[in-house]
Amino acid sequence: MAHVEGEDKRKLLDWDALEVGEMFDTFSYVLTQQMIDDFRKGVQDPEAAFPTISGKVDTVQYHVRYRDSGSVNARCCFQFYNPPVAGKRITVQSWIADKYARRGKNYICTEAVSVDEDGRLLDRVITHELKQPSEVGKKWEK
Amino acid sequence: MGEVKRMFKVADEVPPVSKTMSQEMINLFEKSGGKTGPSQFTDEATARETLGTKGTVASGRMSLTFASEMLRRYFGADLYNRNGIVDLRFLRPVRPGDTITMSGKVTAVTRLANGGRVTVEVTGTNQKGDTTAIGTGGCIVPSLSLPPEE
Repeated sequence: MAHVEGEDKRKLLDWDALEVGEMFDTFSYVLTQQMIDDFRKGVQDPEAAFPTISGKVDTVQYHVRYRDSGSVNARCCFQFYNPPVAGKRITVQSWIADKYARRGKNYICTEAVSVDEDGRLLDRVITHELKQPSEVGKKWEK
Repeated sequence: MGEVKRMFKVADEVPPVSKTMSQEMINLFEKSGGKTGPSQFTDEATARETLGTKGTVASGRMSLTFASEMLRRYFGADLYNRNGIVDLRFLRPVRPGDTITMSGKVTAVTRLANGGRVTVEVTGTNQKGDTTAIGTGGCIVPSLSLPPEE
């Protein structure tokens, strides 16, 4: 979730106006060994090769541009191409891949591809987010 | 790619993977992704405010990671980390203290130009037997890892 000091100048999400295909600015970061170690401990898998899963990088730039009432991950798809390497800078391109309404609830689908500084394609992630998270919480607590 | 180590065919059962969740695991997962502030995953008050739940929940991406571990062990890292996929829908929350088991079964083998796509039906269940996630996974494997064509 993007942290914005002072007045929040991000656009309030207007689901009806959101355009499928909208591209976000690229986002880049350096993957550290500490991030990999924390990820592997967190999922209790010393061979886990894609710590990029926990970065939620497909929605980082969405949250830089938009504010909303939160979200719940309804569906997520990962395609794996090359394990990322510690110390390499990773660049992410993300966009709005789809949106739909189901049972009166609004969903946004973001997609992103990650490439490292050597030009290796790392992974592709597609995430479906429900934009009325409290509705799900009510159902879960019944 | 070297020696073919195993064969994949429809109806094969994929050995399951189980994890017992803790708040520490969730916190490490979120930290590894660069999330340091309170969230519905790490902070009960934020979870109450955002989701209306009594406590924190784990990110669906943790279940996705457990499913990908199961598939990687089945296909082998040399194949799965370069041609693997996992696609899950999250049906119920996973909370600290829950034990999640990912299981799978091969449902289809499709011939491709560069080998064959093995599709696995994936299910996540908790310690009560409730389904927490369903979906598919798979991997493109060499043709020699598939049953001979009829």
